[in-house]
Amino acid sequence: MNDRKLKQLFTLAQKQAAPAPPADFATDVLRALRGEPPARAPQTLSGFDQLNSWFPRLALASSTFIVLCVALDYGLTAAGVPSLSDGVSQLSAQWLLTPTGL
Amino acid sequence: MNSTETTGDDAELLERILGGATDDFAELVRRHQSRVFAILHRYERDAQKVEDLAQETFLKAWRALGQFDGRAPFEHWLARIAARVALDHLRKEKRRQNEIGLPELGDDALDWLRSDDEKNELDVRSAAELLELAMRELSPADRMVITMQELEGRSVKEIAVAMGASGVAVRVRAMRARSKLRQALEKLANEKL
Repeated sequence: MNDRKLKQLFTLAQKQAAPAPPADFATDVLRALRGEPPARAPQTLSGFDQLNSWFPRLALASSTFIVLCVALDYGLTAAGVPSLSDGVSQLSAQWLLTPTGL
Repeated sequence: MNSTETTGDDAELLERILGGATDDFAELVRRHQSRVFAILHRYERDAQKVEDLAQETFLKAWRALGQFDGRAPFEHWLARIAARVALDHLRKEKRRQNEIGLPELGDDALDWLRSDDEKNELDVRSAAELLELAMRELSPADRMVITMQELEGRSVKEIAVAMGASGVAVRVRAMRARSKLRQALEKLANEKL
């Protein structure tokens, strides 16, 4: 395939006429976009809106974290390791509820 | 009316549309529809699909109308949206074509492809079919560069803006794409022997 033939191919293909838009094309487009307002310039979201949009994901992440902590606590207790709640009680007894503690 | 309306006319119309005169969008569509159809037809030969893609182009333009800043003519902005719609379409088609294989090529096109005789002529339709088939071997981005450069006669700068690439990247891609296209045409000529 030499350059001359390639150029000839492009020249011929250029001549192919595009299909004409149907007479009612603009009406069809208008029908399709009915009820859909044109987008204005990008709006800035308030902090509350952003938080609102993040809420489902944050709620899911928090729930997952809580479930994982509970499962870990049960797992450690079953394995004989002092559970997290025991640890916290021990800590309070040693440091917080002693006469020298807070 | 046609796509050669001045930007001033479009600006007034756009102002009315953004002010709530939704029906005036039909006038904007009528002004630019021929140009949009012409652009999309470079990437898709099926008339029904071209119409669907044109509709998608105008809907995208409608949704993004508030972002048009009026610094460039509206038709240039619209042409960029049409090019993006075409590129997305090529990507989808590329995946589909890998599954269904290639259509047959006519004898006239094959004869022309194999012949070295300059007198051997090819009709416009066969040329478009042949080019379409060879272009399928290219990546969507390569095809877009070749189409814009060779069929639409756009400058490297225009292509770079439309594709969001640098001028150098467009030049390099165009050179590689042309080479791949040549190979694809040679492959077509040899495969059918």
